[in-house]
Amino acid sequence: MQMTMRNKFLTRHNGAGRGDMLLGVVAVFLLYALYNSGFFTEAAWNDFNRRFYQNFIKDRRYMMLVDGLRATIFMTSWATFIGLIVGLILSVIRVAYKGGARIPVLNALANTYITVLRGTPAMVQLLIWNFTIFASARDLNTQYIAILAFGLNSGAYIAEIFRGGIESIDHGQMEAARSLGLSYGLSMKLVVLPQALRNVIPMLFNEFIALLKETSVAGYIGIDDLTRAGQNIQALTLEHSQPLVMVAIIYLVIVLFLTHVVRKLEEWLSRGRR
Amino acid sequence: MKKFLACVAVLIVLCSVAFADENVKLKSVEQLKTEKLAAQRGTVGQFIAEDLLGDKKASLLTTYEKYVDAVASLRQGKIRAIIMDEMPAKRFLQSVEGLAIMDEALSEENYAIGFRKGNTELVEKVNKALSEMKADGTLDKIFDKYLNGDYLEINPETIDFNKGAKGGKLVVGTEAGFAPYELKVGNGFIGIDIEMCAEIAKKLDRELVVEHMNFDALPMAVSTNKVDMICAGITVTDERKENMDFSDNYVVGAKQVALVRADDYEK
Repeated sequence: MQMTMRNKFLTRHNGAGRGDMLLGVVAVFLLYALYNSGFFTEAAWNDFNRRFYQNFIKDRRYMMLVDGLRATIFMTSWATFIGLIVGLILSVIRVAYKGGARIPVLNALANTYITVLRGTPAMVQLLIWNFTIFASARDLNTQYIAILAFGLNSGAYIAEIFRGGIESIDHGQMEAARSLGLSYGLSMKLVVLPQALRNVIPMLFNEFIALLKETSVAGYIGIDDLTRAGQNIQALTLEHSQPLVMVAIIYLVIVLFLTHVVRKLEEWLSRGRR
Repeated sequence: MKKFLACVAVLIVLCSVAFADENVKLKSVEQLKTEKLAAQRGTVGQFIAEDLLGDKKASLLTTYEKYVDAVASLRQGKIRAIIMDEMPAKRFLQSVEGLAIMDEALSEENYAIGFRKGNTELVEKVNKALSEMKADGTLDKIFDKYLNGDYLEINPETIDFNKGAKGGKLVVGTEAGFAPYELKVGNGFIGIDIEMCAEIAKKLDRELVVEHMNFDALPMAVSTNKVDMICAGITVTDERKENMDFSDNYVVGAKQVALVRADDYEK
């Protein structure tokens, strides 16, 4: 369904309409305004270069961004890992409840967990973890607290992804498997889950991408992630735009790369599907 | 979609033309009472700005997490003045074009190290170390190093954090965007506060650990025992005294000033 929607969007060709004309006129106007403000002069170019040198090259300041990126990826990866485990457990509880293995207490707990963690901002959860729950844990590396906070948070989302994936498989599949004499567990394992996985994997990657961007608030509890590294450079050079734009570009490149991977993965997973 | 983009672009252009109005230039701090002001969140600059603006603070005061953001807003004309400490303001003056500091100071403040309320034992130890450092000139030497030299050349690795000390760790919370008091350079920290804390740690036979966080998170961190003390050019105020204990002052008479645009200021 998602695939077809996107393909439709991509292949829908519009002729050059009034929108294009207007956009063109505005672009020319903006270029003219930039030209007038001396944006294309040699002095402006030199100034840009000087500031670029100050922000990133001098004293190997780019290493601050590299270290920040490392922290961001480290946190995101481990948080996703924790999220996968938590999400798997929660979704098993919830799906099993519907499938007949009724343990009301566990199901209620899982529901509450998902409601609370999805219903509050990750930033607020992070602050609560750091300043309330782990208030007295002083020698614990703050990064681990962040990983825990982001991991448990994304666990709630991943649980819903898993559940959605399993429930998206037609009931008839389960019924057919059961009528052939397979047990509930075996029908799940052999028939439902392999099909669900196909729907779930791209969404898990999307969750990873979302989490990657979400960790940008980790600076609030004192972790030098990519965003915070940019802010540290700002404080060092007192330059406002360049470090932030650079940080944005780095995030974008990573996200574009991951999106590309998801797309390839989707194609690979849907091979043989008519 | 394209039409929508085009409309947005036209709107931006129109707005940028429409809102570029001319103001009466600033002459005295009295004028600030009805102007858009900014301060770093949780700093004394914010308290002063709130006092200046009175009832109008809700609409006229913007608080920022970082000074760099406030200065960017100032240069873009979103605000007219930033209330901040004189020393960091001077640093902005040196490296950012088109800024000025109003001659008239808004107030004079004292800096001290903050502790969790009731942590008298550590306060006394630090006070003893501070008074020794004041007496033997160590403190003056640190100030001289940063106020009369190019501190951006200082290598963080030259600051001795007393690694592996027997007395355990001395965790200090700070906001390292407040040069010359504290600044993050590469993976390390430099600054007057950092070097002072390093000396204190040595005297207490403890290893200095610096935690870099947002300024408004510092009181929370020290009261929940995340850090032993907070040292970030913190002004001693009666309000803060209710929630934390302070060491003796290590800076007396630090001015709070208004940072404005040079072309907006008439001396």
